[in-house]
Amino acid sequence: MGNRKSLLTPVLIVIVGFLTVCPVIMLVFGSFSTGLGTFGQFTLEKYIQAYTDPELAGIITNTIVFVLGSSAVATGLALLLVYLNTRTDIPFKFLFRIISIIPMMIPHILFSVSWVLLLNPSNGLINLFLRQVLGLENAAVNIYSLWGMILVEGLLDLPIAYLILAPAMASFDVALEESSRVCGGSTLRTLFRVTLPVLRPAILAAFILSLVRSLASFAVPSVIGMPGRIYVLATHIYQSIATGFAADYGKAAAIGMSVLVTSITLIYLYRYLTSESEKYVTISSRGYRPTVIRLKRARYPLFGVVGILSLVLIVLPVLVLFYTSLVPYSMVPSMKAFSMMSWKHWIEVIHDPISILSLKNSVFLGVVGATLGITLSVFVAYAIVKVRSHASGILESLSFLSFSFPGIVIGVGFMWFFVRTPLYATIWALLIGYIATYLPYGVRPLTSAFIQVHSHLEESSQVCGAGAFTTMRRIVIPLLIPGIVSGWILMATMFVRELTLSVVLSRPGTEVLAVQIFRFAEDGLWGQLSALGIMMIFISTTLVILATLVGIRFKPMEESG
Amino acid sequence: MKKLLIFVLCMFMATAALAADNALLEKAKAEGKVSFYANMTAIQPIMDAFNAQTGLKGKYTRISTSKFLPTVLTEFQAGKLMADVLQAPLPVMEMLKAKGVLTPYKSPAAAGYPDWTRKDDAIQVFGIEYVALIYNRDLVKPADVPKRYEDLTDPKWKNKIVMANPATHATTIAWLVGLKENVFKSEADWMKFLKGLAANRPMFVKSFGPTPAPIESGEKLIGISMPKYIITKAPAPLDWARVSQPLLGTPRGIALSSSAKHPNAARLFMNYWLSRKAMGMLAKNVGEYVLAPGVFPPINGIDKAKVIPIRTLSDKEIRSWGARFKQIFSAS
Repeated sequence: MGNRKSLLTPVLIVIVGFLTVCPVIMLVFGSFSTGLGTFGQFTLEKYIQAYTDPELAGIITNTIVFVLGSSAVATGLALLLVYLNTRTDIPFKFLFRIISIIPMMIPHILFSVSWVLLLNPSNGLINLFLRQVLGLENAAVNIYSLWGMILVEGLLDLPIAYLILAPAMASFDVALEESSRVCGGSTLRTLFRVTLPVLRPAILAAFILSLVRSLASFAVPSVIGMPGRIYVLATHIYQSIATGFAADYGKAAAIGMSVLVTSITLIYLYRYLTSESEKYVTISSRGYRPTVIRLKRARYPLFGVVGILSLVLIVLPVLVLFYTSLVPYSMVPSMKAFSMMSWKHWIEVIHDPISILSLKNSVFLGVVGATLGITLSVFVAYAIVKVRSHASGILESLSFLSFSFPGIVIGVGFMWFFVRTPLYATIWALLIGYIATYLPYGVRPLTSAFIQVHSHLEESSQVCGAGAFTTMRRIVIPLLIPGIVSGWILMATMFVRELTLSVVLSRPGTEVLAVQIFRFAEDGLWGQLSALGIMMIFISTTLVILATLVGIRFKPMEESG
Repeated sequence: MKKLLIFVLCMFMATAALAADNALLEKAKAEGKVSFYANMTAIQPIMDAFNAQTGLKGKYTRISTSKFLPTVLTEFQAGKLMADVLQAPLPVMEMLKAKGVLTPYKSPAAAGYPDWTRKDDAIQVFGIEYVALIYNRDLVKPADVPKRYEDLTDPKWKNKIVMANPATHATTIAWLVGLKENVFKSEADWMKFLKGLAANRPMFVKSFGPTPAPIESGEKLIGISMPKYIITKAPAPLDWARVSQPLLGTPRGIALSSSAKHPNAARLFMNYWLSRKAMGMLAKNVGEYVLAPGVFPPINGIDKAKVIPIRTLSDKEIRSWGARFKQIFSAS
């Protein structure tokens, strides 16, 4: 067994390394070579240009505020929703679960545009409403600000945080809380002194993954930041690429390297902060089942608060999307708008053969990609948590490598790599690229789930004569079902709406949904874009429901909502 | 009389082109298909019509402008360029030519095009990505519509303008420089226009794509945008300001790939592309300004507008002007 364990990590390092290192190496070459390709003459010019830019300091400050703020919003909100959903008797639980995952299914650019329609200072719907109600002269809220960016990005990253926290909260050992209460601690005190500290690895994992994601995010900075003239690293990189016709991705990669270094540092920091993982083990050999805290009189008021919050934050933008798909052009709701509504955009999309092909391709990539991705993730997470050698630290960093590169750059890295292989311009290039880039979506929920499974369980199984594989199948995997379901959902919904790699790698025959949506956006066709976007949400919702049902079937004893 | 002469000339050229096309058609049919890379929208109907007329299968890959050069060069350098025919803004085509991606070809179908479009031995210019002041005709009174570009500096437009970011968006940068070189009498006048525009605090978006939506919805009233949206976004209340000065735009070019796997099909396709029929579809379906003689998009008054091409700016020039515009626009 010891031998197998020690073999597992190197094998995984080779597999994950192959997946994630190749495109990054191409980008490193590109950042050091003259011209636009990968193998030009050596130069430091791109780094010098990138890092001597006098505006960089201001941009970095904005970026820090933006990523810390949005990650705090995402993690805080997710924690509240997960806690209420998993541990209390708040009514209509399934609604919360769906609502917290919805932003994962919407193309980010659409979600941002919906918020602009709601909160722009000229005629944003909420602003118009507030102006009338409060009798204001100017708009109450301006979305084109750092605060606006933080809010929208925070909501977009909410599902990531939610899906990492939910399995951890679901497999919480009640004995710890009971001890606290026996010793006289109140519910709140228990929450802050016991529950939250024990959940630290999951909270940190959620926070750090949100940080890394918002660092690489482009939709919010471009749709909300640019009109407000607020620039962060992602838009800065875009500008350095997009000014002029010959886009220099080498220079963009040079700026991206600092994002990469930051992300890797964060991951090591996370590892260090959770290094004594024994502390967080909560499922040992004794029976466990989280108790439900009775909210009593607070039950309905709390439901009301969270309900309104979800309505405003998540349901409203989706409604705006639906509305946009019905009106002939962008218009503020009015009698005229309602009288002009039709299914025109929907019919156009349904009759467009490329849109239909892209629907099929995306479903294939979502289902097959997530299944392969989660299989790999189980092994990687196992090696990271249970082996915990120096090599498993390397493995953990590798799994984050392409993920932490700004999206617009990593796509080109993959193109530079795949063009040298027979996979170029096939759907397999997309599949491999997706798994390589979004591996952390599978690995993160699984590591936080693995951390809580005590090795005694495996040891007991082995003492009884079971082999490593049987132990994994019979003991470990069933305990991991909530993590597997979370990871699968994160990966599948991500793959269904993936844009950054797809826009570079998709070719005739391998069109995918997000690329089709992106083309509608480039042509300013918001109606078709919204219609196809809603179809995308529908597909993702179906996948989420299926995954949840499968999860319940395999593990009827506990379900997070 | 002049009209009759042009008609006869056109008929003659069409017949000659047809005869040449017939010989080409046989060779092209043996190759079976053609692959086309373009940055434009709504090309599928043209591919379908090409297929119906020739029996050849056309495969169309759309690549956005910012990824056009890296994608084509990456494939070309790896010996895997799949395109037989390429279409992009002229500056991009010129860079591709410099890298050896294009091959010379004079299409007989371009015979009636203006002389300036046929100067290059490989690249044929067939259209202009024209830019104009686009406004919301429900919300802007006819008397308020700008009659000259300078009218956009009137303080009444403060916080009511949308435009692509003049620090980064290449086509907008080229357009502003084009105004200096083709429209304004002196550099001082031009600078006054820029500063006045900046003082009106226009809202910046990434590119032209997001410019019409805020105008349609009334979030902004006017924008530096493209007249083609009047067609593609109908029935949105969009119209273009008939300024007394000319409209400007970046030329669009088409050429054959030097590594084309279907060279005859490629020629046949390029001829078809430049035909009145194909250009008519571009003009009618998506409001493109094309240079096939006598073909205009169905936008009221556009056939009388003077539309002139902006000279090609090098990327170095675009970056340095972008930096300059950034200063001017952030000073306000």
